[in-house]
Amino acid sequence: MDWDEEYELIKSGRAVPQAGPSFAARDDDEDNIFNDDNGRASNARQQRTPAPAPAQPDREPDFYPEEAEQNTPLEQLTRHWLNERHAPDILPAQEDLLMNLLDHLRRQSEAVQLLREDPSTSEEEHMRIMLVQTEVERVKFIVRSYVRTRLFKIERYARFIVTNADIQTRLTAAERDHASRHAKLTDQHFYVSVLQGLPEKQSHLDDTPLFVPPMITEPDKSRPVFVHARQRCPRIRLPDGATLDMEKGHISLMPYAIVEELVARGDVELI
Amino acid sequence: MTEARQYGELATQLVTESRRSTQTDTLLKYNDSLVRSLLREQRSLESALSTLLIDGHAPPPALLIIQTAINRNKRCLLAYHAHRTDRLRDMYWAAGGALPHVLGNQETRAKMSPYEVDYLRAYHASVMEFRAEFAYELDITASIVDPPKDLQVLVRVVRDCGMIQTELGVIDFQKGQRFMVRRADIEHLIVQGYLEEV
Repeated sequence: MDWDEEYELIKSGRAVPQAGPSFAARDDDEDNIFNDDNGRASNARQQRTPAPAPAQPDREPDFYPEEAEQNTPLEQLTRHWLNERHAPDILPAQEDLLMNLLDHLRRQSEAVQLLREDPSTSEEEHMRIMLVQTEVERVKFIVRSYVRTRLFKIERYARFIVTNADIQTRLTAAERDHASRHAKLTDQHFYVSVLQGLPEKQSHLDDTPLFVPPMITEPDKSRPVFVHARQRCPRIRLPDGATLDMEKGHISLMPYAIVEELVARGDVELI
Repeated sequence: MTEARQYGELATQLVTESRRSTQTDTLLKYNDSLVRSLLREQRSLESALSTLLIDGHAPPPALLIIQTAINRNKRCLLAYHAHRTDRLRDMYWAAGGALPHVLGNQETRAKMSPYEVDYLRAYHASVMEFRAEFAYELDITASIVDPPKDLQVLVRVVRDCGMIQTELGVIDFQKGQRFMVRRADIEHLIVQGYLEEV
């Protein structure tokens, strides 16, 4: 459902926004996945999807159809946020989605501000305004966390990013600028604190001695990730040669490199 | 004295310091003297290396040992500095991107090398430039530890922080007072230790 639509509903009193059941459910979920074995975790997940229904029995049945719920901008952002947090590599930037959400946030905040200052706003409406504000803060939290996760990875791989054209296409212009500034800054710091004191032959940052990891940190795509299939996936080949067909709802632990494509297509999500 | 020392011993000390810093989760004082003696060792290794290279002869096996020592020392030096800058950046973000707050702390400041102060300043400038992208909607330097559950928060003032613009108008926070304020308005003050959640 669209934000504006939701807001209209709230305003007209037909729906009371929840202060964010989606996040709470997510938190519990993550605990389950790390503590339990796969089977139970996937049970928990399957139970979770229909869970909101009994909580709001008075809601019209097609009010939040399951499929549509998966595709609200917020749901999309939450998914990208989790993917980004779990993937060792930097995923493509979701610039349009982010800008749309931020626009919505701004418009909502402005509407809230107007309503708050309006003396004819009733007590009940003030209560609803507060809930909307809380939700706005919570969405901002996710956006912030998403942006900062990317920033962390960008700084970590800054020197790799400036030499790799492929990864640059996945960044926004601002992120690219930050990466090149950061790479330069790191080089500069190394130079003044260490390299300038070394003999000329040693004062470079691109040594490639044998049996030593390279000096440029690259994303480690062999890192294992938990994968949750959002739909039936095409057959994938595991490193030992075996193949795996993932049905909807399937959860597996495997190296990131194998599912990279599926994550990019949105067939699976990382959890 | 230097003769009795093995190649790479100093570098090991340096890396041990980094590891200790991680384990105790503290920033240790920048070990200037150790870094300097390592740089000296590198220079003497380099000159030892050049005396071994005689034109027209096959390089002696000792060459390999010295070259390995040089490479290792260099990587340890860089790792030590990279580890410190990582820590400094962590501290910077933990303070909500408030540079004066980090640099104003005498204890922290004393542990940093002058180059690291410069580094943090330049880093701050870079982050501020990036933040400006989002300035209208949200502050990306705010905390990302706990998702907000309430709009309002009851805080106790731990240190005077003067007049602050909030939703309720300007509030003069003085030590010992308690306020019910909007979280978004004062979150940075909690992070910097001026206010405390009750």
